[in-house]
Amino acid sequence: MATTVDPQGLDNTYDDASQRTPLVLGGLDYQGVTETACGFWEAEKAPKIWWILLLMAMSLLGILGGLVNHLLMSGVGVWGNNNPAYWGWPIVNFVFWVGIGHAGTLISAILFLFRQNWRTSINRAAEAMTIFAVVCAGMFPGIHIGRVWVFYWLFPIPTEHLAMWPNFRSPLLWDVFAVSTYATVSLLFWYMGMVPDIATFRDRTKSRIGKFIYGLLSLGWTGSARNWHRYEIAYTLLAALATPLVLSVHTIVSFDFAVSQLPGWHTTIFPPYFVAGAIFSGFAMVVTLLVPARALFGLEKLITLRHLENMNKIIMATGLMVGTAYGIEFFIAWYSGVQVESYAFWNRAFGNYSWAYWIMISCNVVIPQLFWFKWCRTTTWFMVIVCIFVNIGMWFERFVITITSLCRDFLPSSWAYFTPTWVDIGMLVCSFGLFSTLFLLFCRFLPVIAMAEVKGIMPRDGHH
Amino acid sequence: MAENNNNNADSKLIGLLAQFDDPESLVAACNHAREAGYKKMDAYSPFPVHGIDPAIGIKRTILPLIVLAAALGAVVVGLGLQIYTNSSALDFLAPFPGYPFQISGKPVFSIPANIPVTFEIIVLTSAITTFLGMWILNRLPMFANPLHRISRFKRVTNDKFFLCLEAKDEKFNRAASETQLNKWGAVAIEEVRQDLTDNDLPKWIPTAAILGAIVLLLPPAAIFSQWGQTNRHPRLHVVPDMDWQHKFKTQTMAPNLANGLDEVDLMYADLRSARRPVDGAVAFGSLDIDSEMNFGIKQDFAHAISSRKSMRTLLVSATDDKTAESSSGDSPALAADATENIDQWVTTFPEGVEVNEKLLARGQQRFNIYCAACHGYAGQGNGLVNQKALALAANGDATWTAARSLHDADVKGDAKNPVGRIYDTITNGRGNMGPYRAQIPVEDRWAIVAYVRALQETGLKTPGVDAATDGEESAEKVDPDAKPKE
Repeated sequence: MATTVDPQGLDNTYDDASQRTPLVLGGLDYQGVTETACGFWEAEKAPKIWWILLLMAMSLLGILGGLVNHLLMSGVGVWGNNNPAYWGWPIVNFVFWVGIGHAGTLISAILFLFRQNWRTSINRAAEAMTIFAVVCAGMFPGIHIGRVWVFYWLFPIPTEHLAMWPNFRSPLLWDVFAVSTYATVSLLFWYMGMVPDIATFRDRTKSRIGKFIYGLLSLGWTGSARNWHRYEIAYTLLAALATPLVLSVHTIVSFDFAVSQLPGWHTTIFPPYFVAGAIFSGFAMVVTLLVPARALFGLEKLITLRHLENMNKIIMATGLMVGTAYGIEFFIAWYSGVQVESYAFWNRAFGNYSWAYWIMISCNVVIPQLFWFKWCRTTTWFMVIVCIFVNIGMWFERFVITITSLCRDFLPSSWAYFTPTWVDIGMLVCSFGLFSTLFLLFCRFLPVIAMAEVKGIMPRDGHH
Repeated sequence: MAENNNNNADSKLIGLLAQFDDPESLVAACNHAREAGYKKMDAYSPFPVHGIDPAIGIKRTILPLIVLAAALGAVVVGLGLQIYTNSSALDFLAPFPGYPFQISGKPVFSIPANIPVTFEIIVLTSAITTFLGMWILNRLPMFANPLHRISRFKRVTNDKFFLCLEAKDEKFNRAASETQLNKWGAVAIEEVRQDLTDNDLPKWIPTAAILGAIVLLLPPAAIFSQWGQTNRHPRLHVVPDMDWQHKFKTQTMAPNLANGLDEVDLMYADLRSARRPVDGAVAFGSLDIDSEMNFGIKQDFAHAISSRKSMRTLLVSATDDKTAESSSGDSPALAADATENIDQWVTTFPEGVEVNEKLLARGQQRFNIYCAACHGYAGQGNGLVNQKALALAANGDATWTAARSLHDADVKGDAKNPVGRIYDTITNGRGNMGPYRAQIPVEDRWAIVAYVRALQETGLKTPGVDAATDGEESAEKVDPDAKPKE
């Protein structure tokens, strides 16, 4: 093991020009990495706190099930959606969750293509988070279609009953293709990356059921050099495919708005602005999850402060992009000289919904500026608070975009004020139950750290 | 377990497995082995070791080319799917026709609008090909690998590195190879043996697989046997959400009252579920103040209209509902006859009805739909309904007033039936004939009038008495240029 700035301490945020900063701390060797990463999974009994969290998450999930049932039995009227705001919270929640689902693939694919080695410790958990966020995201448009039992009409499947096909020129259909492709590719990427680590589980587990299930899931992986060769090529290909895909998904989500003609939606800045916002919120969610997770599962030596600090830097950078986009929107509203466009933005900042607008500005633009200070981006409890604010702000961003424009459309006689119902609020809160349940089960039963990848970037004596 | 199997007499030696403790010694050993002439060997490691591919002579995989081919195929499939489903250009290829959406006059297929879906299909296809292609090229999943029986090998997914020289290699020699491996720095060496006793599949598996496949095929077979069949029963409607809606339908009483519930929750005090038009209201498109156009009555005789039942819009403002309803109870023909004055009918087509080829063609088509059933295609009063009804009446099974032939002397001609009166006949019916004003719009009624006059003037009759061929032949013979004499 190479000497480090402070090998036993866990602060590797200082740069030393004379050597590469280590990404695995505590003097761990390969065996040590395996044991650290498997520690939580191998524990005979999960700690109480995990059970308590799981119980809370599953309670919320149960309520979510009840709410969805209530919705299906009664119809979409149980939501606050009504003329003119036909897109209420369900679409706000959809965009919020699908945005969060962007960090995982970004970390796995884009940082992989840029050879950012620090991604290896966090990519697995981030990918899992991506998939679970996409599950939450997919649920909302799924139940928003009204007649859920004919959901397959969304897809180009011939039905004599309907006797028509989807309209391929509609952004809503593009969304169906983008989100389902993203979910599928993320799942393949996640699972493929996990196979060598599931093989580690297969070789370490002592239970018969575990041997069977992990044996099945690891597909008989042996770590053969020929397999690794094709595996690495395939991984690079998937990363190269996932990179434009991840950018396209939120671009297409933004088309849902930008391709319509409503003032405040019909802007060309939406695609880049939505993608930056998605990365912003996604990284904030990764930090929010990983800080408690690394403490709970004893992963401080693998998910180091430097990892967290890097993510905080990305949060700050994307936060600045989002802030710039807010400014540009106002500039264009003024510069275009279009009265309705100017009004739409004036109304956002000073109209009925100004409270939501200023929550968004403070959470997304002002608060992340704290990350200019090193103390703020290297103090774990503090960064979690900032990141929670970021996600509150990003939820309000989608709320502001969706609701303010709809409530002030072209016909002043239909202007109204949107009020959510208890079902709206319940579904947003309980969607976190679905997300947390999946994430907690993942942490307990699947490899949270990409062990094979971490071992691959560890410095070896005489080679680095 | 692993050691027991290794010493089994029924097993075959398939290679020697040497363990190394770090990736550098593994790569070095691989290089030695290649230089010593070994070809069939593989290295095993917990993570991809760089520099090992040339060391054991791994050629670059063709996976990227396979993915490229799949991606190019996906371009065709993606664009083809959209052309097929959103236009009718490729209908000849598939059983379900395309559905061209007409939206603001935009083209049904345009590359920019179809890029997003094409892109997603390319990415999806390429990703699935990459994923499946990688596993297939790697010959995985393979669960029955003799390596997994060696307990030492379990550390390959943790921290140890292995080199396996296969017995199939020409250079392989049990003793010599072991010596070589030791020389190259192996920490431990073990034989890899394949157990020959349990190599075959249990006999019941193929049978069970075939049976299972047959059982799984039954439901799709049942579905496809019904493909394209007709069925007298209505389609199975799993969720009848559109059939039972919580709303008040028109022409019904308020639902709660109709259900006989005690709590009467009426929509309106008069028990209706909808409101009637305000007095004097004229429904969109039904203003009929032009008496010549709408009633076939000369402007000078317009006062006669008010006594006719059809004058609803004029009546409603002047009279109460009771009068209107009681007059609607009477036969419209009787009401008409009581006030008929032959001079009141227009004898020329009203302004706005231009008699030309197009109008006659339209009239012919409408006549064949609405009139020919009784009057026959040539207007001889020998339509199928008439024939059948007369046959029934002859047996005393029905009473029937025969439909008139339009060529009869007392029907033909301006003296008996000026165009206005023909129009009125269609509108309000005459004798036993019912009114057609609800079925046929004003313009089409005039088109039929023009066609009836053309039939009468040309005097075309059906050759023979075969009613089945009657209409088509004679209708074709009608000269569409024939102008009614006015």
